[in-house]
This record gives sequence, structure tokens and C-alpha cells, in this order.
Amino acid sequence: MADVTRRRFLVRAIAVMAGAIAAMVGAPAIGYLIGPSSDRSGSGDWIPLGTATSVQPGDPVLMKATVERKSGWLTDSQEVSVFVSTENGQNFTALSNVCTHLGCRVRWVPDQSGFFCPCHNAVFARDGSVATGPPPRPLDSFETKLEDGTIFIKEA
Amino acid sequence: MANRKETRSARVGDWVDERSGWRLAWSTVFIRKIPKVNWLYTLGSATLFVLVIQVVTGVLLTFYYVPEPAQAHASVRYITHELSFGWLIRGLHHFGASAMVILTIAHMLRVVLYGAYKYPREITWLTGVMLLLLVFSFGFTGYLLPWDQRAYWASVVGTQIAEVTPFIGSWLKTVMLGGEEISALTLPRFYGAHVWALPAILLSLVGIHLYLVVRNGITSIPKKDE
Repeated sequence: MADVTRRRFLVRAIAVMAGAIAAMVGAPAIGYLIGPSSDRSGSGDWIPLGTATSVQPGDPVLMKATVERKSGWLTDSQEVSVFVSTENGQNFTALSNVCTHLGCRVRWVPDQSGFFCPCHNAVFARDGSVATGPPPRPLDSFETKLEDGTIFIKEA
Repeated sequence: MANRKETRSARVGDWVDERSGWRLAWSTVFIRKIPKVNWLYTLGSATLFVLVIQVVTGVLLTFYYVPEPAQAHASVRYITHELSFGWLIRGLHHFGASAMVILTIAHMLRVVLYGAYKYPREITWLTGVMLLLLVFSFGFTGYLLPWDQRAYWASVVGTQIAEVTPFIGSWLKTVMLGGEEISALTLPRFYGAHVWALPAILLSLVGIHLYLVVRNGITSIPKKDE
């Protein structure tokens, strides 16, 4: 390394310092820009739906809850609607009422014992599986729990 | 091995040079002869460096900041306390603003004390004076954007100072505020000035200023008998 001239040394030193400074601002800047995209606040929260006694074995019951959702510095409340059903009054299943095809709201038709979507005549069975029509997958289901007589669902 | 890599990068350099003439531009800007000077001659470059920091961090801040009265402060709080490294980006911009003012004035003092504003550098000096005023304008318009009590009252005081301008004072204040007092109209005005109008003018003037520095060269330190 004896042939390193003063000029060459200075050029390299400047390049190293410039790179270090650029990295010191650049690396945090990347985290700053992509940060919110990986933010999953709210997921995993338990949302209370209502008392367990309102759901009896038989037809699923549409239950609604209001959820506070954070988007950046704003919080807005969203309504979550879920069909809750039970076979024994102890274990509950909760199905989203949003059709997995194009997002229309499904309703329960007791005569046919299925969920009917008005948009493209899709029908889902009681367990949420696709009976007929275009939906690509069964209705989304939520994890449920029963606590002090209140049914909770876990936000996805 | 190192040799082959160098010839390859030289070939790429030749290819680009043949089509752009970048080597001449590079050597004109960076490999020019300068007199023997001291560290005070780096103040202009230091200002330029901080300007780059301000541009980069300023652009990053606009990804989250919202110039609307109900949300402005909340978005600033979000940047500072919830975003990863938001505190750093905003902090750099905040302290960089002070650094801009200090460095620009220090650079100006060096130019004044060494007589560097004289022939043939009068235009460099004039654009420099305009740049100093622009830096103040950036500081003034940027100060309102966090939309807290300090920002609000500083802008009240600042526009009242503008109000004592002879003859056009009260008109000037109304134009600045977009009304009689600070309102929902004031914040987007200051924001538009701060991120669009002022940068456009500043960058144009910086271009002229730097062109003239390269074109005319820098002054040497004045001697005793000069």
C-alpha cells in the first residue's frame, strides 16, 4: 500500500465519509417509508359481540360490533357484522357476512339453510363452505371465545 | 484483477463520456485550480450540504404530513412518536433549519470580510443575498407547519412584524395569512410556499450561484496592502 498517494487517500476518505453519511440518513429513511405498511395494530384483539343467550342452537344470528380502527393518526369506527351459530350453547362459530366473491353482504335464508349472496346468487352452506356460485373460498371465520356469558371474536 | 476491473470501469466511463462529455463537466466543477485558502472557505459547501439534508428530509416528511388544521398536528405527532425513525427525519429537518440560517450568515460574513463580493462576483453576491432572504422565508413558513401553540403565536408575531411595513403593511399581512387572522387558509398557504414555491426559486438561484462560483473561481485571502 506504499503507492497510495495523498490525493488517492483523500478521495477514498471522502468517498467513505459520504457513503457513511448517506447510509446514516438512507437506512432510517427506508424504515420510515415502509414502516406503516407492516403495522398490524388491532389484529389479535378480542371484540365483544353480545350475550351468549342470544344465540340458540338453530339459525345463525347476525351480531354486530363497532371496532375502532387506527389509520395513521386517525381512528375511525367500523361496524363488524358476524353470523354466530352454536350447536350446544357452549361452542360458537362466527362467520363473516362478507361474500368472498366481490364483497357483498350475505344473508341467512332459513328455508334453504344457507347463506345467500344477492349479487351473483352464490350460496354458502351453514359451515361457510361454498354450495353454489362464483365465490373462490368459504366465508371467513373468526376464532371465538365465551367469557362471563359474552361471546368474543378475535380480529384477524 | 484490480487492473481488469479498472479497465472495465474505464471503458464504461469512456462510453458514457463519449455521449455526454461528463469528464469535462466533472473536471470543470471539481478539479479546478483554487488559491490557497482557509477553512472559512468551506462554509458555502457546508450550507449546500445542509441544504441537501433539508431537501431529502423535507421530501420524506411530506409522505406523512397533512397541511390541514384538524390533522396537521396529529400527523406531526404521528411522525415524531409512532413512525420508525420519524423522530430522526423530523429532528434532522428541525435542526437543519437552524443550521441553514447560521451557516448562510457565516458564509455571508466570510464573503463580506474578505471582500469577495467585488468585481467580477457581484452577481454571485446578489443571488447570495436573495438566497439568504429565501432561507429566512423557509424558516418562517416552516415554523407554522407543526401547528402547535408555538407555531401559531410565532406566526402571529411574524405577520404583525410584516404589518409595520410602510404603506403596504396591513395589505401584506392579509395576503400572507389569507385573511385577517390565522385560519384554515393560512396553513396550506404556508405549506405551498414552503414545499413548492420557495424550493423552486431557491434551487434555481442555487444553480446560478454555483455556476458563477465555478465560472469565476474563488477569491484568494486578501493581502495586507490590498
